[in-house]
Amino acid sequence: MDIFGYIISLSFLAQVLRLFTPYYLGASAANFSERGGVINIAIEGFMITSAFCYALFAVLTGNVLLSLFLAVTINILFSLLYSAFTIKLKINQIVTGVGFNLLMAGLAKFIMMLIFRSSSNTPRIESLPHIPFIADMPGIGKVLADYIIIFTFLLVPISQYLIYKTKFGLRLRSAGENPAAAESLGVNVRNYKLYGVMLSGFLSALAGIWLASNQNSFSDGMIAGRGYIAIAAMIIGKWKPWNIFWACIMFAAFEAFEISLQISGINFPSQLLQMLPYLITVLVLIGFIGKTKPPAADGIPY
Amino acid sequence: MKNKLRENIISITISLILTLFITSVIILLIGKNPFDIFGIIISEVFGSGYGLGQALFKATPLIITGSALAICFHASLFNIGAEGQLNLGAFVMSLAAFYFSALPAYLLFPVVIILGFAVSAFWGYIPAIIKIKKGVSEVITTIMMNFIAMALINFLLIEFFAVKSTVRTEKIADWIMIPKLSAYFQFFQGSSVNLTFFIALALAFAVYFMLYKTKFGYYIKAVGFNETAAKYIGIKNNRIMLLSFLIGSGLTSLVGLNFVLGYKGYYEFGFSNNLGFTAIAVALLAKNNPIGIIFTSLLFGMLDYGGLTVNTVIPKEIMFVVQAVVILSILSVDKIVNNYFQSKD
Repeated sequence: MDIFGYIISLSFLAQVLRLFTPYYLGASAANFSERGGVINIAIEGFMITSAFCYALFAVLTGNVLLSLFLAVTINILFSLLYSAFTIKLKINQIVTGVGFNLLMAGLAKFIMMLIFRSSSNTPRIESLPHIPFIADMPGIGKVLADYIIIFTFLLVPISQYLIYKTKFGLRLRSAGENPAAAESLGVNVRNYKLYGVMLSGFLSALAGIWLASNQNSFSDGMIAGRGYIAIAAMIIGKWKPWNIFWACIMFAAFEAFEISLQISGINFPSQLLQMLPYLITVLVLIGFIGKTKPPAADGIPY
Repeated sequence: MKNKLRENIISITISLILTLFITSVIILLIGKNPFDIFGIIISEVFGSGYGLGQALFKATPLIITGSALAICFHASLFNIGAEGQLNLGAFVMSLAAFYFSALPAYLLFPVVIILGFAVSAFWGYIPAIIKIKKGVSEVITTIMMNFIAMALINFLLIEFFAVKSTVRTEKIADWIMIPKLSAYFQFFQGSSVNLTFFIALALAFAVYFMLYKTKFGYYIKAVGFNETAAKYIGIKNNRIMLLSFLIGSGLTSLVGLNFVLGYKGYYEFGFSNNLGFTAIAVALLAKNNPIGIIFTSLLFGMLDYGGLTVNTVIPKEIMFVVQAVVILSILSVDKIVNNYFQSKD
């Protein structure tokens, strides 16, 4: 197969768009939480939970929309629990995140074994419905006819607007930058932190659900560090929606390239490409590639 | 100080009871009797030398990694990177033991240990130096370094070192293997527990001594407690941070002794199975006290092996849930107990 011909082809673009979706949803989830000053390194766990719940309920009820609703609800409940730990009790956010990741990955493994008697994957499930008329378009119509993908693209300008142009965004940012000053101006800082974490639960739920729906099942290890890559994209994107968008496109392109190399049978160590997102993040953090600065009160309980 | 101890004992007790309670509820929900399950675990673990040996074997890497991480945590350094550090260390140990097997034993073992330690320490050096020079939090860098480490090992295995169509290194010579305890005590017959268990115990005591009885340990805690104050009493903060990060991440490599030299004879990709994260829980539960870590590791080791023994009744995966519940209970209960005593004072 001609690699370079492939890269400029529509199917490569379609692949990038598909890989981009969970990254951007996850990165956006992490961003809303951190904008309010709460670090959420449990994005990985949240994605696992929602992907698993979606698959579980899809198998049990056969109704994908109901499963979507239930998976989102459960993720939001988990985000409330996460808020209770980090905002109400002011427990260290990193350790809480590690604990949540272990809990959520463990629960999925346990319940999958319990119900499906399998440590590897659930039975096959239906995908979410497609948008009818776009799906008939030639080329990448099949990819774009996906409600969650369309939502993810709209999410970029929406979150840009929400964070920078609305009262909500201003208050959310103030909770993450200088909570004491915000409080003295009458902002209920803890509420805004809570909204940030809940948005995080909602968006990471969509990421997980999309992955399970796209793969037509949940399998152990399917999230495969995407939650962490999402956090990396948020850092490289300097906590700004459009920058995060480009970071996610970049990571998705790497991955699409890696997949195409594997398919084409060219002998190139794909592990080196897998390493790239993390390596670039470290380089960005060091300051080799631009400067990046988190919200001032990020990670500090208030 | 005395009150602190009382608080710790209260919160650890409550959180263990809470964990037991939550676990029982989960077991009840599945329609099984929790007392039966606990009964099986206890009789299987304590009923035979094999069971006990397996629990000790599972506890060994936790004692090592937990004690190592305790050093970082006392300095308020959140080393989430143990997973990558210990994998690299164990990987290099397996290579060193294989390729230098011509060396006499008195040279081989130091070389294996020093190389493993050096590689793990180097992996901790990177986030440490980034923190010190650039003020970047070690949390994200250590997470990223984990992924880089795993991809790097995977690459090196597949391209150079793996036995064909496996993800493991060549088996080392038999004479290099660390003896199993069953070689000395018939009691442990068949179990994988080996002399590394005693090395782990010695390490925990050594770390305890260093942290609580030496000036260096005092400095570590001072930096961890209040960086600014530490600076004003003349402590070189950056040096202490760097050293505790280097020692902490370097020591995680010793898990290679248990798995590579004491058990399989080779490094296998994925052997650690989240050990670097479980060890955080173990250290946390023990309030980063290495002697306490011995006990919490034994508890987790028991759970780990115990899960296997009840697998026919209830999926062993429940132990992942139980371990996570332990962490979250200790975190929340500890805070609530703390707040309670603070409001009373």
